[in-house]
Amino acid sequence: MNIPDRIDRREAVRYMGGAGVMMNADMERLMDGCEQELLRVMQPKYLYQIVDLPQEALLVGGDIRRHLKGCRQAVLFCATLGAAVDRLLRVAQVRDMARAVVLDSMASVAIEQVCRQADESIAAQLPGRFLTFRYSPGYGDYPIELQKTFLRLLDAPRKIGLTVSDSCLLVPAKSVTAIAGISDVPVERQRRGCAVCNLRDTCQYRKNGDHCGF
Amino acid sequence: MGTMIQRSGAGYRHCPETLNLTRPELITSFHRAYIEAGADIVYANTFGANAYKLEGSGCSVERVIAAGIQNAKAACAGTDALVALDIGPIGMLLEPSGVLRFEDAYDYFKQQILAGRDADVIVLETMTDLYELKAAVLAAKENSDKPVLATMTFERSGRTFTGVSAAAAALTLTGLGVDALGVNCSLGPDELEPVIAEMTQYTDLPLIVKANAGLPDPNSNEYDILPDRFAQCVKALLPYGVKLAGGCCGTTPAYIAALKAALENETFQPCPKTADTCVCSPSVVVEINGPRIIGERINPTGKKLFKQALIDNNIDYILTQALSQVSGGAELLDVNVGHPEIDEKKMMVRVLKAIQSVCDAPLQIDSTKPEVLEAGLRAYSGKPIVNSVNGEEKSLSAVLPLVKKYGASVVGLTLDEGGIPKTAEGRFAIAKRIVERAEALGIDRRDVYIDCLTLTVSAEQDACRETLQALHRVKTELGCKTCLGVSNISFGLPNRELVNSTFLTMALEEGLDLPIINPNIAAMTGAVRAYRVLAGIDTNARDFIDNYNDAAPAPKPQAAASVSLEDAVYNGLKNEAAAIAAKLLETADPMAIVNEKLIPALDRVGEDFEQNKIFLPQLIQSANTAQACFEVIKQHLAKQGGAQVSKGKIIVATVKGDIHDIGKNIVKVLLDNYGYTVVDLGKDVDPQLVVDTAVEQNITMIGLSALMTTTLKSMEDTIALVRQTPALQNADGSSKCKIFVGGAVLTRDYAMKIGADFYCRDAKESVDAAKQVLG
Repeated sequence: MNIPDRIDRREAVRYMGGAGVMMNADMERLMDGCEQELLRVMQPKYLYQIVDLPQEALLVGGDIRRHLKGCRQAVLFCATLGAAVDRLLRVAQVRDMARAVVLDSMASVAIEQVCRQADESIAAQLPGRFLTFRYSPGYGDYPIELQKTFLRLLDAPRKIGLTVSDSCLLVPAKSVTAIAGISDVPVERQRRGCAVCNLRDTCQYRKNGDHCGF
Repeated sequence: MGTMIQRSGAGYRHCPETLNLTRPELITSFHRAYIEAGADIVYANTFGANAYKLEGSGCSVERVIAAGIQNAKAACAGTDALVALDIGPIGMLLEPSGVLRFEDAYDYFKQQILAGRDADVIVLETMTDLYELKAAVLAAKENSDKPVLATMTFERSGRTFTGVSAAAAALTLTGLGVDALGVNCSLGPDELEPVIAEMTQYTDLPLIVKANAGLPDPNSNEYDILPDRFAQCVKALLPYGVKLAGGCCGTTPAYIAALKAALENETFQPCPKTADTCVCSPSVVVEINGPRIIGERINPTGKKLFKQALIDNNIDYILTQALSQVSGGAELLDVNVGHPEIDEKKMMVRVLKAIQSVCDAPLQIDSTKPEVLEAGLRAYSGKPIVNSVNGEEKSLSAVLPLVKKYGASVVGLTLDEGGIPKTAEGRFAIAKRIVERAEALGIDRRDVYIDCLTLTVSAEQDACRETLQALHRVKTELGCKTCLGVSNISFGLPNRELVNSTFLTMALEEGLDLPIINPNIAAMTGAVRAYRVLAGIDTNARDFIDNYNDAAPAPKPQAAASVSLEDAVYNGLKNEAAAIAAKLLETADPMAIVNEKLIPALDRVGEDFEQNKIFLPQLIQSANTAQACFEVIKQHLAKQGGAQVSKGKIIVATVKGDIHDIGKNIVKVLLDNYGYTVVDLGKDVDPQLVVDTAVEQNITMIGLSALMTTTLKSMEDTIALVRQTPALQNADGSSKCKIFVGGAVLTRDYAMKIGADFYCRDAKESVDAAKQVLG
């Protein structure tokens, strides 16, 4: 797939917890360097499969049922920036932690951009139908353990080198698994919001009465 | 097989290998179809039959594999076809990216190899991680005497998902003693030529091509190359030394029939390797076809800070040494961690794995102990150099078999029971003996790098000539590569750098291939690079120009009068701050600089961070700047043999099961910079290791990090174990340890519930906790 031209800097600043911080020239320079390096190193890949609903193996908990309500099919999806980004992050943590923090945040933004790009291509394959937003194992009461099932069904280890550890960490780290409902009628693309977010109890934005935009 | 199972629509739960038990006749019929199409070897349906993938299926590895082999054997009955035990990747990524330990991967494979003992051949395929494949090859070679075929899967970039190059795969697998190697899956045969062409340059072994039927549509699984074209494309690859051809995804019996017809009248065309001797990591191959620099700095000899780092388990210090040598121009790195106060074998394994997780340069495993060399050889991914063997019988008989088994190159020192011969003649004789012994074991003489030994010229002025003469003879008469530690020559003389670089140039002219030097001394690296130009090795001086073209010498940082140490720290001006600190040390007390300047400056940065005036990276930059100052002060104190600047020891660890350790690493940097001594246990840390370290080193402050909801349980377990350990309790049964915890999903309530003393929302708060406890 195409590598994005740029990495959304405002998003990256959010990820660094920099809400309200004034950017300065040094930070801009640091972010420029990190952006270039990341764009050079990342090898984004994604996979998807359209599955019929209901499927007991995939519908675990109340939240996902609500999310996929009215959908007779869904898109099973995963994406990764690839192993080289993990290595880049490891090296940066030895050489320069400040740089590592910036790279880590930018990589998180990049994988989200990659997912959005994939969303668009998938939606283009489904004319006249509508996708709900991507819902990932770990949101709300949707068990994170399902990542293993997703990757097995998608044959992700073999096809794009994406695996999951025993404790449900995706490897490479900058990766996503998700499911999106396919609906015959337009769905409200509401925000995922705080309710499904695992950081809701610790989130700085939320404490300030703010929102991260997720 | 996968193709046929998919097409048949046969239902299975969990994984297709369970069909061996539920539908044996179906599996046998697929094999038979391929045999009838002309297959000489059928791969049993055992690809994913490992303990990880079968978990929860209710079927054991032993049953599934035994049935798989039986089904294939039944299909072969009455024909000459052979049955292969087919083994694919485990399905979990190995360290350093994943959490699966190399040793555990070995055990998974060993179980499969033993279960498949009735097969005729062992096939390891679709591998993308050279380290995982090495575990599989060792498991096969150590638990079976069947032939081993190994193939990896490459992308269009010519690399695997994990970045392994075809050349590195060929070198490493050849060294490990497989019977044939090559490529499977990946792409269609029309696109595999670059991969096969690269492999064949680095091995004399027959190659395997088992391509897909073209490219799959990633989502529909339809393939785009038809049988006749498939067969013609494979046939075109035969001149590269391909001996075994087959089909992977999408290749039905029709493809095999076409292949059989196309190859019927063809004979095997061996294709000798063209590359000179090479060493490699998974991603970088260094061909020793001219002088190559080996960095000597990962070695405690004569280095106080390095020794301390080994005792403190300070792996990051060693990693920094590795990366800075590569930046300086090292192409290979020597790794020596011998020190009487540590377990050298354990440390060697740990350091090799850690260096390989961040550094692509091939490594040289350096120890005087065969058991350390063997542990290192197992743990290394790629083809390393062993440093060293010498002419003593004891050394020859212990080290050379290891070099052969693990497929390494080896440094041969020209000394023996009688010591170092004074004459070139004597050293040449030992070199010859080493080479003969190596060849008798099947080690290529080009993989023996003879070191004619540098003696100190101030003690024995004639010895220099003898060394160079021996080197010349070894190079020209034995046809070996040569290696030499250079720095020893100038011991006891002033201006050592000048003597070293001159000696280096002389040795290069006599045929030195592998100078072992400090690459961070510009004159040394420069001498090698200049020599490559003058000797016509660096064609058009391209490499030289790349390295020196825009080398405007960096202005030496000055202790500018206008900037205070506090401001330099606040603004993250690392070099300036270090220079100022050095200047202050001329007049001020070291501890006063720490307490009156550095700590207050860091406090100001911390406050601004808390008030959201600056970013986390800026906080870290300031902390790093303070760290540079601490280094200057530490070195000053070390020279004076004075007390260490430490405010106390703190353990930090990312808990068991968790491998995302950036948060912990940020905490570490900050604590370090505030003057605490941090014992970093790394990631995926067993609770017992935390307790053992606390007890052994008498540490009472512990920081734990967990990123995921799934790993919070490990955090709780670790805290519980600390609290229960009698050695970490006061006389009244209360805990001696203060534990601080942090992590994205952790809340204050939860932290208190699981028994932590401090909940730290960010790295800055962990410093506050440390201040409260340790001052």
